[in-house]
Amino acid sequence: MTDSPSDTTEAPSPLDTFAAELATKVGAARWTADYGTIHIYVNRDQWVAAATTARDEADLGFFSWLSAVDWSKDVEVGEPAADVEDLEERYEILCRLASVNTSAAVILSTSVAKDDAWLDTLVPVYAGANWHEREAAEMFGVNFVGHPNLVKLYLPSGFEGHPLRKSFALGARTVKPWPGTVDVEELPSTTNVEAGEGS
Amino acid sequence: MTELDTGGIVQVSDGGVSVEIKGEAMTLNIGPQHPSTHGVLRLVAEVDGERISKLDPVVGYMHRGKEKLAEVRTYAQITALINRIDWVSGFANEVGFVIGVERLMGIEPPPRAQYIRLILTELTRISNHLVFASSYPLELGAATPLMYAFREREHIMDVIESVTGGRFHPNFNRVGGVKPAAGGGKTQKKVSLDLPAGFYAAAANAMDRAEVACDELDELVTGNEIIQVRAKNVGVISREDVLAYGISGPNARASGIEFDLRKHEDILPYSDFDWNVAVRHHGDSFDRYLVRMDEIRESIKIVRQAIANVPSGPLQAKVPRVLKVPPGSVYVRTENPKGEMGYYIVSQGGRVPYRVKIRSASFSNISMMSKVAVGQLIPDLVATMGSLDFVLGDVDR
Amino acid sequence: MITIAAVPFALWLAVKVLVVLGLMLGTSLVLIYAELKWSAHIQSRIGPWYVGGRWGWAHPIAEAVKFLQKEDLVPEAADDKVFRLAPYVMLAGTVATFVVIPIGPSTVARDLDLGIFYLLAISSLSTLGVLMAGWGSGNKYSLIGGVRAGAQLIAYELPLVLALVAVGIQAGTLSLTGIVAAQAAPLFTIGGTDIALPYVLSGQILGFTVFVIASLAELNRTPFDLPLAESELTMGYVTEYSGIRFTMFFLGEYAGMVSMAAIVATVYLGGFYLPGLSEDVLDFAGPFILLAKVFFVLFLFIWFRWTWPRVREDQLQTLAWKWLIPITLFNIVATATAKVVL
Repeated sequence: MTDSPSDTTEAPSPLDTFAAELATKVGAARWTADYGTIHIYVNRDQWVAAATTARDEADLGFFSWLSAVDWSKDVEVGEPAADVEDLEERYEILCRLASVNTSAAVILSTSVAKDDAWLDTLVPVYAGANWHEREAAEMFGVNFVGHPNLVKLYLPSGFEGHPLRKSFALGARTVKPWPGTVDVEELPSTTNVEAGEGS
Repeated sequence: MTELDTGGIVQVSDGGVSVEIKGEAMTLNIGPQHPSTHGVLRLVAEVDGERISKLDPVVGYMHRGKEKLAEVRTYAQITALINRIDWVSGFANEVGFVIGVERLMGIEPPPRAQYIRLILTELTRISNHLVFASSYPLELGAATPLMYAFREREHIMDVIESVTGGRFHPNFNRVGGVKPAAGGGKTQKKVSLDLPAGFYAAAANAMDRAEVACDELDELVTGNEIIQVRAKNVGVISREDVLAYGISGPNARASGIEFDLRKHEDILPYSDFDWNVAVRHHGDSFDRYLVRMDEIRESIKIVRQAIANVPSGPLQAKVPRVLKVPPGSVYVRTENPKGEMGYYIVSQGGRVPYRVKIRSASFSNISMMSKVAVGQLIPDLVATMGSLDFVLGDVDR
Repeated sequence: MITIAAVPFALWLAVKVLVVLGLMLGTSLVLIYAELKWSAHIQSRIGPWYVGGRWGWAHPIAEAVKFLQKEDLVPEAADDKVFRLAPYVMLAGTVATFVVIPIGPSTVARDLDLGIFYLLAISSLSTLGVLMAGWGSGNKYSLIGGVRAGAQLIAYELPLVLALVAVGIQAGTLSLTGIVAAQAAPLFTIGGTDIALPYVLSGQILGFTVFVIASLAELNRTPFDLPLAESELTMGYVTEYSGIRFTMFFLGEYAGMVSMAAIVATVYLGGFYLPGLSEDVLDFAGPFILLAKVFFVLFLFIWFRWTWPRVREDQLQTLAWKWLIPITLFNIVATATAKVVL
């Protein structure tokens, strides 16, 4: 992930220009524009203001989605992050905003500590954040302060735990271990395995 | 049961004014098993007679945990998961994800693969809209358009099946292109899986039949006064609500927002063809129906132009056998028939992604049901929901 | 002809009742088959094919048997007596209309002088059955369906009645045999032959249209089948019924169609009369002529059902009160004026 382009021999792409401008407007700590996707990283206390600025001053009025990523050192399922030792454990909350007049779009990103997982709600700025925040809350356990109705959306009411956290075990994997290095599973053997006969 | 406080003069219908009698509101549970909720959607409605005063959608009956599952599947295996999200348009779901992975790896799919992806996506779009065009009048009470639309849709399904092997879940996209000529080895015959012989003729025929279906539906449904009276000015969604709630696809274009990801995103070679974006301006259910009918015609145009010009070449770029995607994160959005479908892929260099966030169109499209439904009659609720064209697999993932 | 006096009245009455019931059931079964086939062809498919060996002719019988052998459930929240009685009340209303329909010049179960008046009164009984079903099921969906049906049936009674009033004025009698005879009376002469026209062609075209629309609403058929709206209320007031009681509703709907079609055929299309046939031929061929006309009207009913979607409740009421009733009132005035002037 790169910071603002330091290579001044190349003219910055329109994407980079747009990202740099918006980052300045919201007062973001840093921004990236890799793979055609703009990420703007703000602090938790800048969250609502950044979204409001993006909506009002950068024509990013279309609320696409809001979700989170759980950055953990220990993972119950799947593969761990790269550079696990240097990893800062946190929940990264992402919010994608777009424009309907051009193809401009950004992902606002902020991080909250795991033992202090709360964030201001975006519902006053974008009404559609309602369901997305409910889902992020139940899946990751992040509290959205000021949300009108933070009840479970997908999960049944008695469900315990937060499924999309890396510490939440996947039921299927507790029964059957991770297949490991096999990329393509072999076809099942046609001989009678139970009787103990080999191929 | 709450007391409904509606004392005073209230306008109850277009031409009528009356004094409301104070009554108790009745809680009506619509669903989860219900013929017109497109799946297991539960709507808890508080009704006064037939007028809805409060609507609370309860979703999650079909939540399959695809985002969690995607963290333990290799990139090639995930396509089988995601083409079941919006099951009516199976092929279109895979394209976004596969393109995201290609971007992270820096792979450019060959032009022939891009054209095939485009043709199949448009065929899926026509098929999806034909399903809409048959189920929407069915919910309003007309049973016959269903038969006509599905009859023509079969031709499209046959074409998709002949190319990919599957009608609903094609699993045809591969990272780097589409499924190439495969086989090999001593015991398997080399089976060529390029476009089958007769594909162009079959596709052209399917487009002719789809156009016939459009004309028939126009006669039967679009001009019908009863449908117009049931759907016009029903469930009006304003432009501000579209932006705030993230409503996309034909639903947004019916409210006057001329935004089509096929024109605004450079994922597939749509700019090679001459076609228009279908837009209407009233934002009511009838406009949402009309936009989809227009879109069928535009897609027919695109497919006809595309099958005349498919470039030759390989079907898949050179991709390592064991796919490892370098670390990075990318968000790719495509124009699914139901709206904007996007995949936010966070890769940490392994064979499985670290996080996949699936942005499904119907989730956002129906998140504003509770706002639109207040003050409507129950038949109007059915008309509005049908016009949003959502599928529970898309809502619940 | 066996003289009436020679046979005890009770026996004669029993025979008439059985004949009427048999005719009604038989025609209903044929109508069910006709609906399945006609709707299939409208939708470009074939319909029943295998049942009975060829053409699927035994399909309605198979359906009836299937329903009869299903478990008879009464929901716990239901009002027992009302729930059980509702289908029979509805069926009674429709069957009783056959009493006054003339099948031949002298063949009618009972020729009442108040023919039309009796018809309208007795067919309203089925409204009561529908309301009973809606209330007695103890189910919110059924309640909504029943109340919708009640509102609809009440609203559409008026155009029905007013349309028939115009017919009564034109015929000069309320008795159905009298109305058929009035249609058989020649209107004018062209080149030596007397021309008699059915009322649909001789001034009652508005009344015919209104009556057909209103009878579709009375029967809860699309485009007015909101009480039964499957895609909204999962069968409305019939939701909780199964087994024999459901069969009664099912048959009641089709018997109602036949009875309404019979009324239309008799009052507007000339009944059993066909010009150029003598009385003796009519005695024999009358039933078949009437049947042909009835099935023509039934074809219209079925055609409308499978072509049009359903109308919303308030639009339905608007249609009845703001359009059909003024049209029928105008029709009455026009008919009366024409009767006096011509």
